[in-house]
Amino acid sequence: MVRRILALTSGRIAVAVLAVVALLALLGPLLAPQDPLATSDNTLAAVSGGHWLGTDYLGRDTLSRLLDGSRVSVLGSLEVALTALVVGAIPGILSVQLGRTFEWITLRLADTLVALPFLLFAVAVIALLGNGITQAMLVTGALVSPLFYRVARAATLAVARSQYVEAAIVSGASTGWIVRRHVWGKVLPPVAVAFAQTVGTGFVIVSSLTFLGIGVQPPAPTWGGLLASDLGYLSHQPWAPLAPALLITVTVWACNLLADAVRDVSGEAGRTLVNHRKARARRRGGAGPAPAGGA
Amino acid sequence: MSGRLTPRRPEPTPRPLRRAGRPRVRRLRGAALGTALATLLVPALGACAGGDAAASGGGATLKWTSSYFPTHWDPVVGGSGAQFRELALVYASLTRTDENGDAVPDLAESWEYNDEGDQVTFHLRSGLKFSDGEPVDATAVKAAVERAKEQKNSALFGDLTSIESVEAEGLDAVVHLNQVDYQIPQLLGQRVLQIASPEAAKSPEELDQNPVGAGPFIVTQLVPGTKAVLKKNPAYWDAKNIHIDNVELTSAPDAATVVSGLQTGVYNFADIDPSQADAAKKAGLDVFVQPGFNASNISLNVNKAPFDDGKVVDAVRYAVDRQEFVDKLTFGYGEATDQPFPKGYVAYDPESENTYPYDPAKAKKLLAQAGYRAGELKLDLVVPAEDPQAEIVQSQLGKVGITVDIKIDKNWATPFFAKDLTFSLYSTTGRDSAVQTLTAHFGPDGPLNLSSPYEPKGFEAAVAKVRETPLGAPEYTETLRAATRAGLESRALVFTYSSPNLIAKSKSVSDLPKNPAHIDWTGVTISGGN
Repeated sequence: MVRRILALTSGRIAVAVLAVVALLALLGPLLAPQDPLATSDNTLAAVSGGHWLGTDYLGRDTLSRLLDGSRVSVLGSLEVALTALVVGAIPGILSVQLGRTFEWITLRLADTLVALPFLLFAVAVIALLGNGITQAMLVTGALVSPLFYRVARAATLAVARSQYVEAAIVSGASTGWIVRRHVWGKVLPPVAVAFAQTVGTGFVIVSSLTFLGIGVQPPAPTWGGLLASDLGYLSHQPWAPLAPALLITVTVWACNLLADAVRDVSGEAGRTLVNHRKARARRRGGAGPAPAGGA
Repeated sequence: MSGRLTPRRPEPTPRPLRRAGRPRVRRLRGAALGTALATLLVPALGACAGGDAAASGGGATLKWTSSYFPTHWDPVVGGSGAQFRELALVYASLTRTDENGDAVPDLAESWEYNDEGDQVTFHLRSGLKFSDGEPVDATAVKAAVERAKEQKNSALFGDLTSIESVEAEGLDAVVHLNQVDYQIPQLLGQRVLQIASPEAAKSPEELDQNPVGAGPFIVTQLVPGTKAVLKKNPAYWDAKNIHIDNVELTSAPDAATVVSGLQTGVYNFADIDPSQADAAKKAGLDVFVQPGFNASNISLNVNKAPFDDGKVVDAVRYAVDRQEFVDKLTFGYGEATDQPFPKGYVAYDPESENTYPYDPAKAKKLLAQAGYRAGELKLDLVVPAEDPQAEIVQSQLGKVGITVDIKIDKNWATPFFAKDLTFSLYSTTGRDSAVQTLTAHFGPDGPLNLSSPYEPKGFEAAVAKVRETPLGAPEYTETLRAATRAGLESRALVFTYSSPNLIAKSKSVSDLPKNPAHIDWTGVTISGGN
């Protein structure tokens, strides 16, 4: 699938952008040119050689804070997506396989979770359990999980009634074997699409919470937190919110682009697309100069 | 807009049908035009109408957006914090303060002490009524004091400890004190005793939603936490000097948008963040600092480790660079202070100035003497919300080897006032009575003394001496400063800076009286435009 995604221009762009973001998350603190927490008297300074993105209200280097803040945003969004995947996809598959009682319970649970506004709920959880991004993201992941539940369940339902699955049941195959052998392969592509989308949603949620000053203790930098503090000094640095805002926007856009690319290359449509490209490449190869000694 | 409703490429239909189509297109265009006009006109007409009865009454309208929009409109619950300025629109008090900060008549036209100084009689103006028609008399004063002392959710209880009882004799309210205290007229002003109608106050919950006072304005509409609409109270004792007909008080939006609101006439008066001062000036607004008593501090609990060690407290005192707070938080509009008052105030003690100058080397040495190596001492600084002050404290203490973790606790007020915290921050807007400011910070039961019941040696006696000294006595200033000096021996507080009461207003609003810490609308006019 990776090769198919990379065969698409949109896929290549998305992967490139997300790779840069992942690198920022991994190496951001090391790449930061200055200590992101070190204050100075040079407050609200303009862009310069010493401070590529200027300084903030306490004289801290904005670029260093932006780089240092990448990790919280990336890890937070991954936390949301992975929690949602585990909490949603597995019960989604099992709801088809484990009988009506389990199906009824999980469906009602999914309906209940969908009704809860996740941002508000995350704020409430932080108020109850204390200010921390981990608990907020875990709860948000659980509230987003119905998306995975439904996607996984729909794909499993489509496979469950196929003749080869019925043949496997008649042959005495276990539920686990059927899921591994026949269901998982069909469920994976739509779940991958949902995962990429949810990572994007996770970025928005992390940024929203940190914008509101929730989830991270100051002075730890975050993209949302930087955006919020920059807005307070718009009259001094009207350009300052652009950097964190662009980072958030581009990352979320790349996640959605990747989701589209995964959708485009998965299933029959994806195979057709790839075959079509291969055929076109072959035709181009055939139209080249004739080999020496040819007809 | 209407163009988009016109079919771009009409089908080549027979003529009769095309004729039938034109009126339809015209109707669509007409509908679109009507919608567009309605879209433009309805808000415009709405704005002209003001959206409420008060604004539609015409006349001079004050459009005040405030960062201190009252969370409670019952003055007993609201307490003596910054919100008293907004509540003073509705409620009058026995006294008020003048431009020198001295008590002058308000509802009481005069007062006098007995010879012993433990009883003061306030003589109320005659013929005054609350906005619900109830008379303003000594019974109302007695009810107000008793409610402030006894109501379960009163935030004023600690401010009235000198008052034993109130006797009502027609228009004379006789206040019996449990000690000699010449601060009472200063105390019973707008901060501490805004007087509500006793009839309305029978239900404090109702009063909180429908405030009834005898102040310069009457509330006609109140959207809790958001907006209050008020009209002039013709029965106010000084109504002839109130030239504002209507007030629209709103809760200030994001600090960065207030200046735009002032520029466009959405507001004509606002308290602004110092970061917005330059933008306000550039926008052609009047920007000024209203004098006040603001003072911020680092609160330490000396009953808990590590602040039970005087050397650690001293290390914090020497580690604080006050000028950094002034430069970064007030953009130069504030000033450094090492006392609970700004410099120049009568209670500010010049002798105590700069007792603990910024000396990080000395702070490190003291920490070492206390047995802490660099980075070994770790503290949690608990604050209610994100606050650059906390980040500066963290940074300054970090430089001397104290690691500070900032913890945001939305329920901060409960542990702070229960004195459960070890290390926190507090900013006060001060009190009209300097003694009240001192006891609030340094007294054994002072709400701002995180180390209760600790009080510095000699403070109680020094404060008692001030209370016993009439405000007009020649020795008053020195006695008061001696009490400040005694209070500053406290190890529980490290004062940092005084933030400015920065206000931006439209030029249509005339200058305000310079009453320190107050916003007094007496004599203020608003001319035609904004």
